[in-house]
Amino acid sequence: MDYFIHLGILFAIYVILGAGLNLLVGYTGLLSVTHAAFYGIGAYTTAILLTQTGFGFFSSVILGIFVTMITAFLVGIVLSKFKDDYYALASLGFNIIVFSAFLNWQDLTKGPLGIPGISRPELFGFSFSSNISYFVLAILFAGLIYFISKFIINSSFGRVLKAIREDEKAIQVFGYNTQFYKLAIFVISAGMASVAGSLFASYITFIDPSSFYIIESIFILTIIIIGGLANMRGVLLGALFLILLPEALRFVGFPSDIAAQMRQVVYGLILVLLMLYRPKGFLGEYDL
Amino acid sequence: MNSILKTKKIIKHFDGVKAVDGLSVEIEKGKITGLIGPNGSGKTTLMNLLTGMFPFDGGFVAVDGVSGIKKIRSYDIPAFGITRTFQDVRLFEQMTVLDNILVVLTERNIVSALFERHKKIHHEKAKEVLERVGLWEKKNELAINLSYGQRKLLEIARALAMNSEIYFFDEPFAGLFPEMVKLVSGIIKELRTHGKTVVLIEHDMGLIRELCDYVFVMESGKLLAEGEPEKVLKNKDVIEAYLGE
Amino acid sequence: MEIFIQLILNSLIAGSIYALIALGFNLIFGVVKFFDLGYGAMIVIGAYATFYFTKIIGLNIFLAAALGVLSAGVVGLLVNRFVYQNLRKKKASNMVLLIASLGVFTVLQAVTAILFSSQFKTLSQSVTANVYNIFGGIVTQTQIVIFICAVVIMIALTVMLNKTKFGKAVKAIGDDEEVAKIVGINTNKIIAGVFFIGSAIAGLAGILIGFDTGIEPTMGLKLILKGVIASIIGGIGNVYGGVLGALFLGFVENFGIWKLSGEWKDAIAFVVLILFLLFRPRGIFKK
Repeated sequence: MDYFIHLGILFAIYVILGAGLNLLVGYTGLLSVTHAAFYGIGAYTTAILLTQTGFGFFSSVILGIFVTMITAFLVGIVLSKFKDDYYALASLGFNIIVFSAFLNWQDLTKGPLGIPGISRPELFGFSFSSNISYFVLAILFAGLIYFISKFIINSSFGRVLKAIREDEKAIQVFGYNTQFYKLAIFVISAGMASVAGSLFASYITFIDPSSFYIIESIFILTIIIIGGLANMRGVLLGALFLILLPEALRFVGFPSDIAAQMRQVVYGLILVLLMLYRPKGFLGEYDL
Repeated sequence: MNSILKTKKIIKHFDGVKAVDGLSVEIEKGKITGLIGPNGSGKTTLMNLLTGMFPFDGGFVAVDGVSGIKKIRSYDIPAFGITRTFQDVRLFEQMTVLDNILVVLTERNIVSALFERHKKIHHEKAKEVLERVGLWEKKNELAINLSYGQRKLLEIARALAMNSEIYFFDEPFAGLFPEMVKLVSGIIKELRTHGKTVVLIEHDMGLIRELCDYVFVMESGKLLAEGEPEKVLKNKDVIEAYLGE
Repeated sequence: MEIFIQLILNSLIAGSIYALIALGFNLIFGVVKFFDLGYGAMIVIGAYATFYFTKIIGLNIFLAAALGVLSAGVVGLLVNRFVYQNLRKKKASNMVLLIASLGVFTVLQAVTAILFSSQFKTLSQSVTANVYNIFGGIVTQTQIVIFICAVVIMIALTVMLNKTKFGKAVKAIGDDEEVAKIVGINTNKIIAGVFFIGSAIAGLAGILIGFDTGIEPTMGLKLILKGVIASIIGGIGNVYGGVLGALFLGFVENFGIWKLSGEWKDAIAFVVLILFLLFRPRGIFKK
């Protein structure tokens, strides 16, 4: 049972990550491969604040969002100048730069050793130390992010994002300075990733840079591509699928070191097959 | 003459080729002005320059009282009261017909766009323009699934929704069935009766005669002739430019 | 002074590796016009195939390396045939191709890890390397081979592109695939050839790295990205520009870590990438 709760918490974290990334990739058509960087900044902010200062979890979440959004704002100013595959490449570059910072800014991040002993959240004297209570907390956060995403998509702001995806030059002629829109959604999406990072850090209680490398960005991208771009239910499906897949592989009986690689094989194959036969993913509403 | 839009010696080069070569034109307010000339004479390029699709290399533009403009950014052109359609029909393909219209109606400011207040007004306006081109029934279809003619009509509806002063139509009749041609020419005339200015690129000289009050003939990025359609179309140079094509 | 010479030599060696990767990458990019990340896996496959033929089968080292190059070429050919060719037929967008290539990369990297484990391995036979002293700087025999290979491959590609019928067809496809088809070029066949040659060059780069430092299944991503950066610096699709871009990158990285720690090498490379994309998106030569 505890194991299902563990999977449930991971599910909630990846729903948050997927929802934010879908706003960017699915709705705005910006192939961002840097989501793990913002996920990491959120995680490190919470980890550092909880282990080295008197901050509580919830204020660390807020501060994490703040730090991440400022970073995303600066990164986004640069990224807003690119599109399509060049956007993907430049964003990937930022992920590597941020990862290098996690690894080498040792005074702050303790480098490859990572930060252990991150505490679980407390609220009004109640500690979320049991996994079941943490699960409830994570699901609440995921629900909140999910509905914020829905709200954005259904607003006229969301409609403009889609128009940017479809034909950026054409929508400009109708009076939209699209750079601002691209920047705004990039910053919002990064803020969401930060929340996931805070949840992850406090749940696992230990973080190191390896969780926030490009591979993780690609994993989150895989979630939304499999589930379906520009569809919020697709995020749920994709997250569920990719979290249950390793369990299914374990069930088949691969030894654990091979199982990890087998998982990569399956992710990769799914990406290739989807691109060949169904580039919009299972529930997607947008053809790349 | 009461001009609303002027270009003065406007220039555009593409890799050394002069697509628009020191062109000066003056568009009269409240009239339908035709822009004709053989393929590659620079008509569409001129329209693209005036709507900020790419920068021009020299010359000035004056719009609606603002003169000496050297640089036009595409997202500023609604502020000059300009809207347009595209020769190669540029819709938001994977969006519904209704959303294609609504997106140009809603607030430009990001915060107001998130917390929309005039939903109902925008919906009514969208309904009005879609009904005008007969696409209201199709409002929930994706633009990509429309027929070619319907796509052209949707683009015109999108321009109408902008409620601008100056409308640029780049070959709005190309590939349309006769009844659709009638519909579109009716819309263009109606714009004139409402005091709007229309600039029209068109190859069908019958339509040019029927609609236009004034015509500019372009060749190789330069002005070949200008005047009322009847006179201009009898001009020897103009006839030669077309036959020589 | 000596450290200065050593830095120059290190930059040249790194530049040569990047140049090899960029040469093959640009050759492929020139005809398919998308960022083929799957190319990164060919580097890994070349290296591991050689490892297999020499250390497990026990073949002569040169024969094993030749088979390694061949294996990378063949895998590249197969990926093109079964994935990219079908996507091209459907006129898939660059984003779709990019993601598909990411999938290809992931699969091939993981399969390599399953077959050979994720552990770090080396291809070199002896523990001690033959070293040479050049103006006070030290290079190994392998590193000299790397440099020579880069020069030879560059010259060979130049000759191939300019003097052969195949090369002219490659250029024609690069200019406009549709037109090339109309004038009677069998584009699929030529593109297949390009994938074979390009992937083989990637394989060669992987083998040389295996002799110089060592191999692990995850090395491909970093290397392909460096190849892409070098290509963008030199002007993407420009085979010779890529070589200069590679040298530039080699120098910037090695001189950059002179003052910073070596761990920042990748960050430096990507800062360079972003600066180029911003200010010189068409490469160092074109505005």
